[in-house]
Amino acid sequence: MAAVRETVKTVGEVEKYKYGFTTDIESDKAPLGLTEETVRFISAKKSEPGWLLEWRLAAFRRWLTMEEPKWAKVSYPPIDFQDAYYYAAPKQSVKLNSLDEVDPKLLETYKKLGIPLTEQKMLAGVAVDAVFDSVSVVTTFKEKLREVGVIFCPMSEAVRDHPELVQKYLGSVVPTSDNFYATLNSAVFSEGSFVYIPEGVRCPMELSTYFRINEKQTGQFERTLIIAEKGSYVSYLEGCTAPQRDENQLHAAVVELVTLDDAEIKYSTVQNWYPGDEDGKGGIYNFVTKRGDCRGANSKISWTQVETGSAITWKYPSCILRGDNSRGEFYSIAISNGRQQVDSGTKMIHLGRNTSSRIVSKGISAGRSSNTYRGLVSVHRKAENVRNFTQCDSLLIGDRCSAHTVPYIETKNPGAVLEHEATTSKISDDQMFYCRQRGIGEEEAVALIVNGFCRDVLQQLPMEFAVEAQKLVGISLEGSVG
Amino acid sequence: MNDKAAQIFAETYDRERAVLPGAGGWLARRRDAALKSFVEAGLPHRRLEEWKYTDLKQALEKAAFVPAPAHEGAVVLPDTAVASAFAAIDRHVVVFVNGRHRPDLSKAVRLPKGVELHSLNDVLHEQWVKELVERRFDDARQSENVVDLNTALMHDGAALRIRKGVRLDKPLHLLFLAADGGASHTRNLILLEEDADATIFESHIGGAAAFADIVTDVALGDEARLSHVKLQDEGAGAVHLATLRTRLAAKSRLSSFTLTLGCGISRTQNFVLFAGEGAQAHVNGAYALKAAQHADQFCVIDHAVPGCTSHTLFKGVLDGASEGIFQGKVIVRPHAQKTDGRQMTHALLLSRDAAMNAKPELEIYADDVQCAHGSTVGELSREAIFFLRSRGIPEMEARQLLVSAFLDEALDLVPHEAAREALKLLAAGWFADGEGRA
Repeated sequence: MAAVRETVKTVGEVEKYKYGFTTDIESDKAPLGLTEETVRFISAKKSEPGWLLEWRLAAFRRWLTMEEPKWAKVSYPPIDFQDAYYYAAPKQSVKLNSLDEVDPKLLETYKKLGIPLTEQKMLAGVAVDAVFDSVSVVTTFKEKLREVGVIFCPMSEAVRDHPELVQKYLGSVVPTSDNFYATLNSAVFSEGSFVYIPEGVRCPMELSTYFRINEKQTGQFERTLIIAEKGSYVSYLEGCTAPQRDENQLHAAVVELVTLDDAEIKYSTVQNWYPGDEDGKGGIYNFVTKRGDCRGANSKISWTQVETGSAITWKYPSCILRGDNSRGEFYSIAISNGRQQVDSGTKMIHLGRNTSSRIVSKGISAGRSSNTYRGLVSVHRKAENVRNFTQCDSLLIGDRCSAHTVPYIETKNPGAVLEHEATTSKISDDQMFYCRQRGIGEEEAVALIVNGFCRDVLQQLPMEFAVEAQKLVGISLEGSVG
Repeated sequence: MNDKAAQIFAETYDRERAVLPGAGGWLARRRDAALKSFVEAGLPHRRLEEWKYTDLKQALEKAAFVPAPAHEGAVVLPDTAVASAFAAIDRHVVVFVNGRHRPDLSKAVRLPKGVELHSLNDVLHEQWVKELVERRFDDARQSENVVDLNTALMHDGAALRIRKGVRLDKPLHLLFLAADGGASHTRNLILLEEDADATIFESHIGGAAAFADIVTDVALGDEARLSHVKLQDEGAGAVHLATLRTRLAAKSRLSSFTLTLGCGISRTQNFVLFAGEGAQAHVNGAYALKAAQHADQFCVIDHAVPGCTSHTLFKGVLDGASEGIFQGKVIVRPHAQKTDGRQMTHALLLSRDAAMNAKPELEIYADDVQCAHGSTVGELSREAIFFLRSRGIPEMEARQLLVSAFLDEALDLVPHEAAREALKLLAAGWFADGEGRA
């Protein structure tokens, strides 16, 4: 009977999604469903200029003609796009001037999430733009950033204060017609972060956004735009959580990055949306379009992602290597447990000369989950001396999960050197035995081995995130052995 | 139906239905059903994932092949290195001209007891023939749909059955010559019963603008061993569509090798299904292309049972404005533990206009497996050429050495020694023809 008790206990622990609390705050929602009126409502709520409303409406009309993509290796019941709220804002009547004025309940939420929103952030040195459902609550460290000319603000504020920049770059990397979910996002995006790093500036601190879906039945559609001018550098962190709910919630974000000559953007994500329960009930549908455009020569874009959450992940952070000598990187850890489904990877489009890219993807599947790497490396005719190295390794824990690798390698230039390798294996009995005989428990041993398996990617994360990510790796795999 | 080429095939079927072999029997019903599903699916095009890099519909529409005529008169085999590649090897030869068996040109005498070799049309009444023809693999529906076209229109082929424990004394060479233009649909059936052993060469030659549609169905019994070596060198105006489907019972072994040198557009499909434990499949190939040639190598290996091994290696050299494609998929089903699956594809681009597309795919549902795949694309190493030149070897020769060495890694996997050497000579000759010069 001891074994039974233990199982019950383990199951009990697994059920506890650490971030699965909701915050009881009155919120201001758009009417249920999606029509042209909804789009106008959101635009009006945000007091947006006419050009942006037109842009949204054009996207919306286009979206009506599009079909949901079906090619990914994921399955889910059809989504009723009319049965969701496309805008939800925590109700606050007055404009805020400082952190002290923010609803203490909200701050409490963030405290539970463990983001250093208050004084701690001085130590952490992180400037945070926290997005709660659809609106940005507060952006810290604004003053300090302003001194060096960095603009870091919610998208709605950028539309108001820097319309020329937004108009120039919005949709220039992910056009409104790009794909079903990106088009939907273009029509209804409600918030997101805007970052502008002026020429020659190295952003003095890491910028960070925290996303949280709180309201029931809402979708979150944020839109992030980062522009790094010539010779600038920025490291940007993004974290996501959502409360535990029975129904599925849609998260369809768009992230656009632009680097000009000699600029560099490092974009790190720790995605820990609610994955649904053991039977696959509830959880977030994470259908995200992320793309970076290395527009200038010698520029660099680096994506690092740790994907542990979401019921379904459909996400391909990509790099368009347009500028000569530009470089794209993609480091990914995707962990799936329970009944999670992940179809993720990257695209490296080599257009410029001497461009190089590196892809390191580590997929870990446990429970009854399915984990797919899908990636494209494409070399155009005029792209001389292209180099690419791709490594994607999969680790299977248990015999009811699955791991798939679907790489596409397309080249039209003989000077390109492309290498792809992939392996699939399980945790070796020898490794487990070694850990166990030194008194390390089974779950801890798995976490240890998996952390070792992911090390190449974890090393790419900024310090504060790396620690959190390592813990997350352990938590996500709880209950996957034994 | 807006699919013009498919319509031509449908019309051909309507016209020839009554005279095609097997009329009135089970095959006629099977043909009707196959044609119906072929017409429903249409010819494959690039919007289908499995045909992402090859537009068969467009190719066939453009060429608008009519059925190839039955060639009656004398035939002289072309006097080329490829045509005589296996000539020095002591072998049985069965010749097909325009897809039709020509006993007068064939030479398969004194077969060992227990080896039954017939023209397909002579054995249509046999149960094993029915079973093989009706078989479906279903791992790659979009690619298997073209088998329906073959089933509907097949008019001839070789049927080889080897009884339990019998070894085919010398290799069987199936020689296909496209003497005139037009479409031919050939079906070969190979059944190796328990512990049987055979080596088969298959070569496709001829300069005509023909459409060769070949399906070879293989069933291997427990511990049976088949080595299949295929050589394809058809004309620049030809379209070649070949499907090899093999079902392996326990502890059987398949070794398949394809050397592709010819054809404007070719698609070589290889389906392997492991149905018994402990079986092994080696699916390898090499291709050397020039001008505007387009060659698509497609393989699906289904580990449906535990403990099987599959190794795949395809190497290609691309010159001119040619395009090489490798699409492979290894499936490991739930419970197919102890699977060893390896899949490699390497390509060399010799010219500025050549292109390579690779999609090596793994689909794994079991945890205790060893699976790996790799893919590389690049050009000849300048350092290696420099090294050879610094030793007094002229550049052309240096390039030829490096290209041969590159292809040899794959060619070395041909088990039959004399065939291996013959293919190596052809590969080396391909470059020396002056075609391999960038």
